[in-house]
Amino acid sequence: MNNFSKHVAALAATVAVAVVPTMVMAQDDNPLVTVDWLAENLSDPNVRVFEVSVDTGVYERGHIPGAVNLAWHTDLVDTVRRDIVSSEGLEAILQQAGVTEDTTVVLYGDNNNWFAAWGAWVFDIHGIHDVKLLDGGRKLWEAEGLPLDTATPEYAASTIDLPDEAAPLRARLTDVLDVVEGGANVSLVDIRGPKEFSGEIFAPEGVQELSVRAGHIPGAVNFPWGGAVNENGTFKSAEELKAAFAAIGIDGSKPIITYCRIGERSSHTWFVLNRILGYDVRNYDGSWTEYGNAVGVPIENPTGTVWGRI
Amino acid sequence: MTAPAIRFGLPAIILVALSWGVLSLNTQGVAGRPLAFSLLLGAAFGAVLQRSRFCFYCNFRDLIERREASGVLAILVALAVGAIGYTAVFGAWLPTPATDRLPPTAHIGPVSITLVIAAFAFGIGMAVSGSCLSAHFYRLAEGSVISPFAILGAAIGFGIGFLTWNPLFLTITSNAFIFWLPHHVGYDGGLLLTLAVLAGLAALTLWWARAPNPAAAVPLSLREAVERIFIVRWPAVTAGILIGAISTVAYFRVAPLGVTAELGSIARTLGTDWNIVPSSLFGLDGLRGCATIIKEALLSNNGLFVIGLIAASFVTSILAGQFQPRRITGKDVVRGLLGGLLLGWGAMTALGCTVGVLLSGIHAGSLSGWIFLVAMSVGILVSLQVARLFARRLV
Repeated sequence: MNNFSKHVAALAATVAVAVVPTMVMAQDDNPLVTVDWLAENLSDPNVRVFEVSVDTGVYERGHIPGAVNLAWHTDLVDTVRRDIVSSEGLEAILQQAGVTEDTTVVLYGDNNNWFAAWGAWVFDIHGIHDVKLLDGGRKLWEAEGLPLDTATPEYAASTIDLPDEAAPLRARLTDVLDVVEGGANVSLVDIRGPKEFSGEIFAPEGVQELSVRAGHIPGAVNFPWGGAVNENGTFKSAEELKAAFAAIGIDGSKPIITYCRIGERSSHTWFVLNRILGYDVRNYDGSWTEYGNAVGVPIENPTGTVWGRI
Repeated sequence: MTAPAIRFGLPAIILVALSWGVLSLNTQGVAGRPLAFSLLLGAAFGAVLQRSRFCFYCNFRDLIERREASGVLAILVALAVGAIGYTAVFGAWLPTPATDRLPPTAHIGPVSITLVIAAFAFGIGMAVSGSCLSAHFYRLAEGSVISPFAILGAAIGFGIGFLTWNPLFLTITSNAFIFWLPHHVGYDGGLLLTLAVLAGLAALTLWWARAPNPAAAVPLSLREAVERIFIVRWPAVTAGILIGAISTVAYFRVAPLGVTAELGSIARTLGTDWNIVPSSLFGLDGLRGCATIIKEALLSNNGLFVIGLIAASFVTSILAGQFQPRRITGKDVVRGLLGGLLLGWGAMTALGCTVGVLLSGIHAGSLSGWIFLVAMSVGILVSLQVARLFARRLV
């Protein structure tokens, strides 16, 4: 039965139609929940909210009541090798948070759901295919003056069992090279800022993870991720997003690979293209820090910035 | 005596400016509210520091040289009250401490030989310049002629700290470890242990001190109440409770108390702009404490906290008629700059000062706070001893 419902869920995600029967059917076919909906459904035991914020300490000083904190730099990654958390690791987190097969999982975070979207990508890979984002994230919840809590909730542990096999939502360096050198029919979307894309700068000021080459992957189109959100932090409408991406040649007619510098911001665009628009998208989390550091791979560097030259 | 127009007018103007700052920041919504709160907290902290003369060095010296216990008792009470408050907050944020996690943003700093050296240097800096950094901030408002030079010296000291950070980190600090009491004995055990040590220190202090002559009891009239709030030094226990409470509220709402983050941040930004300071400091992001980052915004929580601290201490100091500058001598400049240099270098290298590492650290149950307390005290004692030897020789 378990396996069956998982299969159904997997199928449902690929066609972007959720079929898990829960009390909260209302928004089941939507990858987003509104702040109003969440405020009304907070006490529903079948709804579990997770916060994934970039800033340390924002969760503790006030979070959506009942939300569980996920530290992106320890909970959702392998802390030894460069990798996302294992299926067993996420399983343990979900069990501790009391998540079952019937739970509606909602993620939210600061910075326009930047890392929450990355969390959704990780959840989806490991089998929580109907994971949802709170539209507007922390920003809108705070702006609306909705209540925050400072206590850390504790839930009775569940026995959820995640599939061992990862969903095919992740692109590796070889997949990208298949496109660049092998001519695979895949669109590449670079969601970094225009100055990173053009090679004028190596990385935004103050970041530590660097690549020793500037520019972008040949053939990629540039769509800075912030272009997908409104001023209040909510996602733009599906129609607006569809039109904006169509304008740069991304219309869902062929598979897509998104990337950025370390793979987190591009998860946001992965969410937009895959979960909201239903396109076939993989996120390349090695991103520019892997590709731009790889030896002997083709690069486009329009501005010609040279590493180390004064 | 200051003219009434100045004695009441100046504080009124500063209060209006402070209120305007709080109100206008508050209207900036989600981003502005923590800033407004930081300004208020800083003002509260400054007022308590000035009114109770909560100066780590002066209180310690009073105990050693004059056998006066009240100042040190105020510090011990502040440590106890804050430890209780922090434990209450921790319980909500991190219900079980027996994991590999630490409560967010608490000043649970690394323990290493570097910390010992830095706190020792800080102690000498306190003795040379006459107080620690938080006290220099409020003593600006008392017209101290050394404090401006000490703060300037501290900024330079921070710069030197950035220069020596990388070599020190590679040779010593990288072996540092974090020791958080609740990890080992739980929240209740950690708090009990902290309170027991503080009670022991309080008993020791009272044993060493001479009992003050009991003041004649004055019945509390309106005039007497005003006198006690605005003129007379606040009682030690009151001051300690207030500092402990402010520390808890600050940690709960914004960040642990600290007065050097902004100063360090300014020094690092200038140093980086002038290409003096290395652009990357090893391991700083992984270590807890008053980490100093390059400035991104003009207004920061810590900057506003310090502004509030200084502004409010001007208000209370002028009202009490305690703004009493004297003529600057060359000795003041040298003492300020030299002492400040040691304060700045020590605060950078220890990742905080008496407020950030000692107060906020002990509140959080971090061993780093205790190490700082001991090494700093040794630094002060050695300085006092050396000063005494010199004085004898001059005679």
